[in-house]
Amino acid sequence: MKGNETFERNNPASVFVYYICVVAPVMFTMNPVIITLSLVGSVFSSFIGQERIGVRFHIYMLILFAIMTAANPIFYHNGETVLFVMNDNPITLEATIYGTVSAAAVISVLYRSRSFTLYMTSDRLLYLFSILSSKAALILTMALRYAPLYARHARRVADAQRAAGLYKERNMIDDIVGGGRVFSATATWALEYGIVTAASMEARGYGVGRRTRYSPYAFKHADIVLTATSLLLLAVIITAGAGGSFDFTFYPRIVAPPATVLTSAAYTAYGILSFLPAILTVIEVVRWKYLMQKI
Amino acid sequence: MEILNAKNLSFTYPDEDTPALSNVTFSVSEGEFVAVCGATGSGKSTLLSLLKREVAPMGKMTGEIFYRSTPTSSMSPRDLAFRIGYVTQRPEQQIVTDKVWHELSFALENMGLPSDEIRRRVAEVACFFGIEDLFDRRTDELSGGQKQLLNLAAVVATYPDILLLDEPTAQLDPIAASDFITMLKKLNSELSMTIIIADHRLEEIIPASDSLLVLGSGHIIAFGKTRAIASSLRSNPHMLTCMPAAVRIYSELANDDDEDKIECPLTVREGRDYILRCFRQDIKMRKMPEYTHKKSEALSFRNVYLRYSRDSEDVLRALSLTVYESELFCIVGGNGSGKTTALLAASGLRKFYAGNIKIFGRDIRSYKNGSLYSGCLVMLPQDVDTLFLCSTVEKELRDAGTDADSLPFKFPKAILDRHPYNISGGEKQLLGLAKLLATHPRLLLLDEPTKGLDAWYKTKIGNVLRSLTASGITVVIVTHDIEFAAAYADRCALFFRGSVVSSDTPQRFFAENSFYTTSAARMVRGIYDGAITADDVIALCRANGQRNENKQSALTGVT
Repeated sequence: MKGNETFERNNPASVFVYYICVVAPVMFTMNPVIITLSLVGSVFSSFIGQERIGVRFHIYMLILFAIMTAANPIFYHNGETVLFVMNDNPITLEATIYGTVSAAAVISVLYRSRSFTLYMTSDRLLYLFSILSSKAALILTMALRYAPLYARHARRVADAQRAAGLYKERNMIDDIVGGGRVFSATATWALEYGIVTAASMEARGYGVGRRTRYSPYAFKHADIVLTATSLLLLAVIITAGAGGSFDFTFYPRIVAPPATVLTSAAYTAYGILSFLPAILTVIEVVRWKYLMQKI
Repeated sequence: MEILNAKNLSFTYPDEDTPALSNVTFSVSEGEFVAVCGATGSGKSTLLSLLKREVAPMGKMTGEIFYRSTPTSSMSPRDLAFRIGYVTQRPEQQIVTDKVWHELSFALENMGLPSDEIRRRVAEVACFFGIEDLFDRRTDELSGGQKQLLNLAAVVATYPDILLLDEPTAQLDPIAASDFITMLKKLNSELSMTIIIADHRLEEIIPASDSLLVLGSGHIIAFGKTRAIASSLRSNPHMLTCMPAAVRIYSELANDDDEDKIECPLTVREGRDYILRCFRQDIKMRKMPEYTHKKSEALSFRNVYLRYSRDSEDVLRALSLTVYESELFCIVGGNGSGKTTALLAASGLRKFYAGNIKIFGRDIRSYKNGSLYSGCLVMLPQDVDTLFLCSTVEKELRDAGTDADSLPFKFPKAILDRHPYNISGGEKQLLGLAKLLATHPRLLLLDEPTKGLDAWYKTKIGNVLRSLTASGITVVIVTHDIEFAAAYADRCALFFRGSVVSSDTPQRFFAENSFYTTSAARMVRGIYDGAITADDVIALCRANGQRNENKQSALTGVT
C-alpha cells in the first residue's frame, strides 16, 4: 500500500498537470512571497518525499543559490538604499533582495525539475506521449529499446574481433580503423535484424486497423482529486495575479502590493500547492501507520 | 475438424532453379500437435512462413493453403494476423517494445481492443505463463528463455487458433527450451491450440507431438501419427540421426519380425522398458581404450576469481582447471554457472582479480600487444554473427587471409556468394571456424558451437574439431549440448557456481551423473555401465543379444 515515493501511484497525466500548476506561477511573477513558498515547498517536499535525491544535489543547489544571489548586486547597482561600496560600486539593498528572489525562483524550479525527472520514468513519459500520438509513442519506445541493444552488440563485435586475432591493435590508426569496422558491422546487423522485428510486428497485426492504446496507468479517484485541486488552486492564483495583486516593485524602492483578502487567499493557495507533495506524503504515512495497526 | 490444409504447395525462391518446396499436401486437424522435421535446407522454414502470409518470402508460389476451408489468399489481413500466431528462432529481434507489459499488449493494441479488454487479457496471459514478476521489467534485461516465452505469450494474447513455431528453441539452453516446450504442451492440451513446430530439439518435441511431418529437400517424405512415422524411418538413416535416442536404438536393433509386436519407444522411459524386455544383460560394459592426456598444459586456471563490478557477486570462484595440449575439452553446466565468463577470462577479454591463468605455461598477463591472439589463442563467440564484417562469405574468407580450398575441412562452396548473415547456423559456424583457423591458433576456444544446429551439422562440426585436435590444436568448448560433449569430448568438466565440481572422461563423467547426462545414459542406467551415446547402447545390446524368453512369450502371445 505504501508508495516509496510521492505520486508513485498517481497517473502520470495528473502529476504532469500538478507540476505545470506549481511551476507556472514562479515563471510569471517575481513576488517574494510566492517564490519563498515555492522554494521552501520544493526543498521540503524533496526531503520528505524523494529519498533518491542525493546529498550532492542539495550541496550544488546551495552553492548555485549563493552565487546567483551575490551576482545581482555585484553587477546591478539600481536601488536607493546603499548598503556599502565595493570597488567604487554601490551595493544596494534592493539589488540584493532582487538577486535573492530570482535565485530562489531558479533553484525552486530546479528542485521541481529534479523531482519531476525522478518521477517521470521512460514508461510514464511514454504514457504522456501516447496521449498525444500513439504512433509517436511506439517509435519512441522502440528507440528506447534499440539504443542499449546496439551498444551491447557493438561491444560484442569488438570483443569477438579482438579474440579472433583480426585486430592489430598496436597503434591509434589501427584502433580507429577497427572501430570503424565494428560500427559498420553493428549497423549492418541492425538493418539485417530490423527485418526480423518488422516481420514480427506485421505477424502480430501491426497496421491492420486503428490501433488502440493500452497503459497500465488507470485514472483513479486520487488522480481526479489531484488534478482538480491543482487546477482550482491555480485558478485562485491566476485570479489574484491577473488583478495585479502580486505586482511587487524592487527598483528604485521596494513597494509591496497592498494586502487584500484576494492576495492572502492566493498566497494560501500557492502555499498548499507548493507543499502538496509533502502534505500527500504525510497523509500517506499517517494512513499507513493507522492501517498497520490493523494488521 | 480440419483447421489448416495445404494443397499441392510449391515454392521457388527468386533467382533459383530448384524449388524449395514441391507439391506439399497435408492437412492438420484442430488441436493437433504437429512436429515438422528435416535437415537444414529441407524447406521447414519456408513451409512455415508460407503458412503465415505476412512473413511469406518473395518468390513463386503455386498451390493453395486453406484455413478452415477458406483459402488464406481471400482472408482479411485482420483474421490472418490474429488467427494464426507465429514465433521464430531469434528471441531478441522479435521483441518490439522496451517493457514486458507493453510487449504483451502490442498485438492487442493492433487489434484495436478497448483498454479494459487489453488489461484483462494481458493479466490473464501473464498469469498463464507465470511471468507476472517480469511485468515491469525492461525487455533487454530478460534472459533468452524469458524473451522467447514473452514472444510466445505476446502472440497467444490474441487467442490464435494455430501457432506456427520456426525453431523456437534453437537459441535457448536446454532448461529454457524444456520450459518452452512444456508451455507449448500446456497450450495444446489445456486450450487445444493447434501447434505446428519445426525444431531440431526432437528429444522432447517428438514425445509431445501427435503427428510428424518429415521433409526432405522440399518434399514430404512422411506424414502421419508420430509413433508410426518414427518407426518407419528405419529405412532412412539420414533422417534417423535427428530422432530421439530411443527411436534410434529401436530402429537399429528391431528385427522385422519384432516390428509388429513391440511399439517404437519415443521417451527415455519407453526406451528403457524396451531394452529391459528385449535384451540380455550378460555383458555390462564395452571395452574402451583408456584415454591418456599429454603432459604439457595448454590452458590452466589456478584459483581464479572474477566479478564484473565491485559490488556484484563473484562469477568465477576459486576456479581451477587444467586443459592439456591437443585435447578436446568440453565445459558443461547450467546457465549463469560462469562457463562463458571462464572463456572470456581465458581469452583475455575480461580481467580476473585474483589467481592466475596460464596459456601454454606462460602467464596470460605476459602476452602483450595482442601477441595472445597471433598464432596462439582464438575464440569463437556464442553469437557468430559478431565475427562477420564483409558483404559475402568469400570476402570474409579473403579478409581473414584464407580461401575455401586451403582449409583443413571441406567448405561448402555454394555459399561463397551469399551474405554471411544469410547462411544457415551450421554454415556460419564453419565460416567462423575458417576465419579463426586463418590465424593458425594453437588453442581454440568455442562458445556453444552447436547451438541451433541440426544433427547432420553437429556431426560435421564434431568431426572437424576432432581432426583439428588430431593435428595438435587444443580445443576448449563451452556447451549446453551434453549429447555432443558425450560423443566428441576427450574430457568433460561440470561447472557449478563459478568453479569446476568434477572433470573426467565422458564415459565416466556421464555414466556417474544421473540427471545431468545424456538420454542414452539415463536409459541404460543400472543396466549397462559406461554407455553414454545411442551408439554405445546399440553396440552393447548387439553384443548381449536378444532375450529368448521374450521371443517365446511373444510367440505364445501370437498363438
